[in-house]
Amino acid sequence: MPINYKTGIINEHKNVRNHSGIFDVSHMGQILIENNESYLHKLENYIPLQLKKLIKNRSHYSFLLNKDGGVIDDLIISNIDIKDKSYLYIVYNASRKKEDEEIFISCAPNAEKIYIKNCLFAIQGPDSMNVLKNVIEIPDNMNFFDILISKYNNNEIIISRSGYTGEDGFELSIPNESAENFITHLLKNENTMLCGLGSRDSLRLEAGLSLYGHELNEKITPIEAGLSWALDKERLEDENLNGNKVLSDQLKNKLSNKKIGLISTSKSMLRDGMTLFDNNNNEIGKITSGCFSPNLNKSIAIGYIISEFNTDNPIFCEIRKKLELVKINNLPFVKKNYKKYGSVYE
Amino acid sequence: MSEKKYTKDHEWVSIENEIATIGISNHAQESLGDIVFIELPSVGNSVKAKDEICVVESVKAASDIYAPIDGEIIEVNNNLENDAAIINQDAENEGWIFKMKISDSNQYSKLMSEDEYKQFLEQ
Repeated sequence: MPINYKTGIINEHKNVRNHSGIFDVSHMGQILIENNESYLHKLENYIPLQLKKLIKNRSHYSFLLNKDGGVIDDLIISNIDIKDKSYLYIVYNASRKKEDEEIFISCAPNAEKIYIKNCLFAIQGPDSMNVLKNVIEIPDNMNFFDILISKYNNNEIIISRSGYTGEDGFELSIPNESAENFITHLLKNENTMLCGLGSRDSLRLEAGLSLYGHELNEKITPIEAGLSWALDKERLEDENLNGNKVLSDQLKNKLSNKKIGLISTSKSMLRDGMTLFDNNNNEIGKITSGCFSPNLNKSIAIGYIISEFNTDNPIFCEIRKKLELVKINNLPFVKKNYKKYGSVYE
Repeated sequence: MSEKKYTKDHEWVSIENEIATIGISNHAQESLGDIVFIELPSVGNSVKAKDEICVVESVKAASDIYAPIDGEIIEVNNNLENDAAIINQDAENEGWIFKMKISDSNQYSKLMSEDEYKQFLEQ
């Protein structure tokens, strides 16, 4: 996947917000795990969900957790039937394939890495449904985070209504041999275009979504990352979940750091790794992701600061050895445009 | 106006009456992608070749602009302040960044010609 195609990051970004764009995310991990009680029990060591109770044809945002409750990876986990057999279908980060697969295979030795034979495409933006409908059958009433099996050229494909841009959209897992045809078919519609990693990053940042290796890592828990909504609270009482004590303590007590959104007050770009200061020159935190926001026409960032810092006070960011004032902004920067939310359990 | 010359840092220089005009090459513009901001140098500063004197920010990354030769900054392209994307549209003309009064024209003659720069890009 390139950083951008011919027309550039900003144009791709705007096309997704206003119409639709297609991302080839085939580098990501996709695995099928048989829905078998002993496998699920082992996976529940790492995943803070009640895996036996996942609703059929629904997806969930979740994590693999280490012993300290830190995030080994963040992932999307779904319960689907393929050829009358029930599976967990998990999509995970390319950069974490090695770590994740070690865990998946130790829990379920016959887990099938389907990214070897399937491409993964995301089509994102308000026109995505109309663009897709010309090419495959898709129910109009599909909700955000619904997932189902459909067909293209007599091949089974997995479609979920999800994405990483804050817009309505779909992710499609499609056999390699049909992939080129499928994309060519979609691109005949002039409301869509190929988009690269650059706009993928600026879109997710505007939507306030975390990126592994930036907002998330093995030393940050989902609670510290402001993602406690994704944890099943009953599982936090379960000794069988890695880091359950750390996590339930964190829920009750004050955290040492908090995640914030920032907007630049000048034209300078906020970038990953820049240091944040209070007005007495004390270091109070760091930026974990920053970019130019095409929607706000300013630079935006996500970072962590110490919890005791009173956010009514000014914050400065060190940009090329100069301190520049930045403003706190609630996340997300751009309102999410999802079709609808569903409940996690029946 | 003299022949346009290029540096290994992908800047171009042209000289007229001991005044050098400097910008980034079309190749540099293409690899940086959408340029959103430029921090212009300060007029009046005396600089040496290879000094970092200003910064171009694209959506992808910040990149330093170096003085290609010794001299004094005498003018900057203020149009870029409001619309840095001019560099994307016309890097080697309208997208000029600053002008210098130069002190040593030998430094200029040592820079790459257009053909040499093209060969340098192919390496």
